[in-house]
Amino acid sequence: MSSRVVLTALSHLLLVLTLASVVPVWADEKQPYVTSPPSSSDERTTNQVERQQTQPFNNAPLWREVRSGDPGITQVKGIETGVLVQPQGEAWRTLRNGPVILYGGILLLVVPAAILLFFAWRGSLKMHSPPSGRLIQRFTSWERLIHWLTAISFVVLAFSGILMLFGKYIVLPLFGYTLFSWIAIVSKNLHNFVGPLFVFCTVLMFFTFVGGNFWRVYDWKWIKKGGGMVSGEHVPAGKYNAGEKLWFWGGVTLLGIVVSASGLILDFPNFDQGRGLMQQANIVHGVAALFYMAASLGHIYLGTIGMQGAYRAMRHGTVDETWAREHHEYWYDDLKARNVVASPSTHSTPGPRAQPQHG
Amino acid sequence: MARMKFLCDAERCIECNGCVTACKNENEVPWGVNRRRVVTLNDGVPGERSMSVACMHCSDAPCMAVCPVDCFYKTAEGVVLHDKDLCIGCGYCFYACPFGAPQFPQDGAFGLRGKMDKCTFCAGGPEANGSEAEFKKYGRNRLSEGKLPACAEMCSTKALLGGDGDVIADIYRTRVTRRGKGSEVWGWGTAYGRPDQQPQTPPQQQPQGGNKS
Repeated sequence: MSSRVVLTALSHLLLVLTLASVVPVWADEKQPYVTSPPSSSDERTTNQVERQQTQPFNNAPLWREVRSGDPGITQVKGIETGVLVQPQGEAWRTLRNGPVILYGGILLLVVPAAILLFFAWRGSLKMHSPPSGRLIQRFTSWERLIHWLTAISFVVLAFSGILMLFGKYIVLPLFGYTLFSWIAIVSKNLHNFVGPLFVFCTVLMFFTFVGGNFWRVYDWKWIKKGGGMVSGEHVPAGKYNAGEKLWFWGGVTLLGIVVSASGLILDFPNFDQGRGLMQQANIVHGVAALFYMAASLGHIYLGTIGMQGAYRAMRHGTVDETWAREHHEYWYDDLKARNVVASPSTHSTPGPRAQPQHG
Repeated sequence: MARMKFLCDAERCIECNGCVTACKNENEVPWGVNRRRVVTLNDGVPGERSMSVACMHCSDAPCMAVCPVDCFYKTAEGVVLHDKDLCIGCGYCFYACPFGAPQFPQDGAFGLRGKMDKCTFCAGGPEANGSEAEFKKYGRNRLSEGKLPACAEMCSTKALLGGDGDVIADIYRTRVTRRGKGSEVWGWGTAYGRPDQQPQTPPQQQPQGGNKS
């Protein structure tokens, strides 16, 4: 019994080997280009023609062509109208409805939860010394304008994007179909019109803030000590600390470029790009935007409730001297050396805006 | 209840585009939208085959799965329909569909596409059967009149069959055994290769907060 199975298997193997050795030789003689798997529509067409001469009822090459997504001839005008089956849409659906929504949702729940836990544990980062009452300008009105334009458009895009990805599962059951559809129409149009504004702001943001964000040797020390956020240790930093620089290069610049480029592909279907490119752009856009939103939560936390005095820096453009010395010592020293601020010993009387600042 | 399907016999289709014209005429579709189209492979050489394509009303329809406002529903006959009042024109159904069935009246900058339009299997939409509002948005509702889709009814060579999946499969099986070739049915694996979704009532007529898959 078993010997017969082995014999059958052997004979099959022999047959396959024989065919494998004969077929390429035969193909080489007749048409050398069939040895490699057909890649273009022309070669497939040739394959069907060849097949039909030897096996008139065999349409296998034709059905491979149907599944390939290569366009045929059609009278209907439009983009990709000649394509019978575009199989990549299935991959897009599986990715979007699967890992992107699942892990993206987890990310947007875990990160705020972790931040809240940290806040409950450490509270707001306060200054160690009392405020001096002397204010230093940290951000010009131009820098603040660009920051808030970018920030507000970011928040609009984040909420409308979240609604497009998760709204069906969270908001729709609450509001019902008609109301949710109206909200989604408003969100979609906000997203599509605010998006290009955000791209524009991101470019301006880069050139406005790039000056202070070049990486310095002391930034490595800051990274190693985690900025002293947990230990409370004093870690000197330049105008922007390493965390802010990471946010600038990784968030604003890298993720900004990725979401902007992929978003523009999706936002302007009038340039006749195909489905395949849009499917890829949509996944890239979603994943990058989810990471961007998660990272922004850290930035927003430290810019508001997480650190005393940080919000007023971007709101009013000024910081207290003590704040500057404690959080951005190298920047403060630099300002002192350039006589932008007077040394603390010469000015001891509090200025008119001497109130302690609460973020 | 019958499960409605389309079947295009590639051995019979002669690329006359009668189905395309019948559809446009019957449903008065928006300009620039073709709910049905005929594609020819190996044009002008031996082995040339033509196939008529439209929405296949898939068992596990990708458009339904990705719609962010859940505007699609499946009738008891297995026909995939959508509610244009809910559609936001995001284009996700168009990304997901392997057949290129969902189309938009515009492809404007800033994603201004208008409401999605696609083949309804001549079964209209969520409005009252045969109403003026239904015709304006979705075209004729022939199914409610006991008729089959205009494209299949019009097909001169009976290459395009539309109707109860079991019946048209039987017709096709008879053909294949008679002529002894062309057993492959294009698109059926993609469209009907998975278990059917449960039929639903149109979204807006459902009780609020009801869970849909």
